[in-house]
Amino acid sequence: MTSAPRDGETPVISISNLVKSYGPARALDGLDLRVAPGEVHGFLGPNGAGKSTALRILLGILRHDSGTVRLLGGDPWSDAVSLHRRLAYVPGDVELWPSLTGGEAIDLFARLRGGVDRRRREELVERFDLDPRKKGRAYSKGNRQKVALISALASNAEVLLLDEPTAGLDPLMEAVFQECIRRARDEGCTVLLSSHILAEVEALADRISIVRHGKVVESGTLSDLRHLSRTAVTARTARPVSGLTDRPGVHDLREEGGQIRFDADAQHLPEIMRELSSHGVQALTASPPTLEQLLLRHYGDELHRSAS
Amino acid sequence: MSGAPAAAPSGRAGPAHRGTASSGGSLTGTGSLLRFMLRRDRIWLPAWVLGMTAMLAYFASALGLVLDEESLASFAVFATNPVMALVGGPAYGFDDITAARFLVGMYGAYLMIGAALMSIMTVSRHTRVEEQSGRAELVRASVVGRHAPLAAVLLLVTLMNLLTAGLMTAVFYASPTEPGSLGSSLLFGCSVGAAGLVFAGIAAVTVQLSPYSRAASGGAGAVLAASFAVRGLGDMSAVQGGELDWLSWLSPFGWSQQTAPLVLDRWWPLAISLAATALLLLAGFALQSRRDLAAGILPDRLGSAAAPRWLRGSFSLAFRLQRAGLAWWSFALLAGGVVFGAFLQPMAENAEGMPAEILAVFGGSGGMVDGYLGFMGVYFAIIAAVCAILSAQGLRGEEQSARAESVLAAAVSRSGWILSWAAVSALGSLCLLAAAGLGEGLGAALSTGDWGLLGPTLLGHVAHAPAVWSLLGLALALYGIAPRLIGLTWAVFAYGAVLSLFGDMMELDDAVLGTSVFRHIGQYPAEDVSWAAVGVLAGIALLLAGVGVGGFRRRDLAGA
Repeated sequence: MTSAPRDGETPVISISNLVKSYGPARALDGLDLRVAPGEVHGFLGPNGAGKSTALRILLGILRHDSGTVRLLGGDPWSDAVSLHRRLAYVPGDVELWPSLTGGEAIDLFARLRGGVDRRRREELVERFDLDPRKKGRAYSKGNRQKVALISALASNAEVLLLDEPTAGLDPLMEAVFQECIRRARDEGCTVLLSSHILAEVEALADRISIVRHGKVVESGTLSDLRHLSRTAVTARTARPVSGLTDRPGVHDLREEGGQIRFDADAQHLPEIMRELSSHGVQALTASPPTLEQLLLRHYGDELHRSAS
Repeated sequence: MSGAPAAAPSGRAGPAHRGTASSGGSLTGTGSLLRFMLRRDRIWLPAWVLGMTAMLAYFASALGLVLDEESLASFAVFATNPVMALVGGPAYGFDDITAARFLVGMYGAYLMIGAALMSIMTVSRHTRVEEQSGRAELVRASVVGRHAPLAAVLLLVTLMNLLTAGLMTAVFYASPTEPGSLGSSLLFGCSVGAAGLVFAGIAAVTVQLSPYSRAASGGAGAVLAASFAVRGLGDMSAVQGGELDWLSWLSPFGWSQQTAPLVLDRWWPLAISLAATALLLLAGFALQSRRDLAAGILPDRLGSAAAPRWLRGSFSLAFRLQRAGLAWWSFALLAGGVVFGAFLQPMAENAEGMPAEILAVFGGSGGMVDGYLGFMGVYFAIIAAVCAILSAQGLRGEEQSARAESVLAAAVSRSGWILSWAAVSALGSLCLLAAAGLGEGLGAALSTGDWGLLGPTLLGHVAHAPAVWSLLGLALALYGIAPRLIGLTWAVFAYGAVLSLFGDMMELDDAVLGTSVFRHIGQYPAEDVSWAAVGVLAGIALLLAGVGVGGFRRRDLAGA
């Protein structure tokens, strides 16, 4: 299921069988993750799946119990400072000092990493539409997020570790964010983007790892994962379609307002389509699986449980 | 009704009552909010009211026991000097002094400050803090009028001040200072409550000005400090027969103190307090009508768009974050040092007539000058230690708010981060002691005319730095190993402070006294500075800091 990155490249991030427990609770339960140089890697999972814990271990802020973690060839715990010169981190909940302005915080964080690209900084401040003269206490959550993002993107880091970085941004700013990430990738930056916002990962990621209960349950390119999923089909036919229910590859068939809806396995699509057309198709929509559906497949059991 | 959550006053909900919404007006929901505040403050309210009453009870019984007829008589001359007037009050009836009059004239001001702080913090807590956190929006979104939260908290504060006044009346009347007159006792209690009420009014105005609770309480606190200083100058002039005694009438504390319980027994100055309170409340409500929820009347000042060149590492960050606090503390200690230093002359003159217990603290009547200056060094070292421990606790605040995470995610090592902060705290406490010593020396030199006191006083104060550092080191060690236990530092601090301040009066054994960190360096110039103790305490501080760094490098960072 896990498709390895291209051979011959040392991965930027390489995690295998990582375990971290808080008392009896296992936050990470044998997590594996490989991120190749220059890729935007989506780290996707619901809240509490262990994404932030994994990122904090990569930052050397938390210790792991067992397993191996390598970041840029180094040990995140013991080589923290030298590694941090080469990376920038944006947490999901950015806290700023109440008495420092946003501009001061941007400069400070970038300088603590080793330096700030002044031109890039000014450009980003403008694009993100941030007033850097306001004090930290005066910013909304979204604006605090912008401060951390601008500082990270203006640092010329080799690796960006982003933990749900757009949680407080409006759609317009999200588009700006996506552009900036693409530009960073074009410049050779490696990005690990943790998120539960599916559309964001879908729009940006070259490869995706889906994490659940502290384990990566699927990993691959978007098209790899789509293989595993089903196409959602909505159709209206001239004559009622009878034999679909028993046909292999058809799931969740239901009728709504004269239309039929079902999910179809990719390898059975040709037969299913033939069957439909033989009943006189009047309208048809078939949408590729979204990451939402991928997640639903993995968490479906939970959703059913919580719904009942 | 009492079982229902008072936070959501829902009594008027429903279509049947639609017509009544407009009739409720801007005060709708005040009653429900008041009940909710009482529920929220079930610890806060008794803690303040009973705490202040207990303070009065303590003062009263201590004075009643220590000051007998004889010591009172010798105290009279000493009591009416300008410095006492500056820090105490207008000295009504001090020419025919009793323990009760001394309590009212000297300690009354501090009970009034307590009541003022209680009012300011309670008003801010239920208005601006609620708005800043966004909780007020939820409350105001239900059937609650625009002015209801302010009205409710003002009722609450009025209740707190009335309770305080009532309890203080009873405690004072029954105390060993034997005031004798219930009416005068009531007047004293009411004068404390009246000062509290005026500051509730002042806070009702300041919370409208800035969107931030710290600025709101800071503004009211500045008015408090100014009020205290203005009446201090007026009272100082009054006891010297000067012409600036009218200054006292410009201050809310002045109005309360001019009632002169047990001497003139005037009630009418309290009418000024009530009138001022009423005007301030009207102003507060008027300002509130002119602003949006969570907004302030005054615009927030913008700062710099870029960081200054020097702000580029963990040390400069630690300095930047602690700078304002250290500056205020230094200024306060410098000013305090001048005032206490200026006290030296009257202390020396009146040494003969002082009670033996108090004299013992300063090393007897012979070495009064050196004894007093040496003692003040320890006194200020204790204050500097408070600041140092608070500063170390700031590390924990940085970690819990996840700001430390952002800094440590940059190229900052853990030991670099904690040691930078600790270095600023350590240098800061040295700076505080120097400020206090400088002030003390200046005050002493000015009051006695002997400039030779300045150098030894400065040295005597600064020499205590290693004692402060050892407590700082303890806080760092606890923070590194078990951050939850950092508060234990306060226990060690309090133990050491009590032993060194009151150990002599309690006539404790030297072995017991030696367990206080403040007892080893020596109260220079009365005693020699023990350089061995300086070295050992500094070594202990370094060792403990090392333990803290070692622990911090090994443990996980707490999440937000």
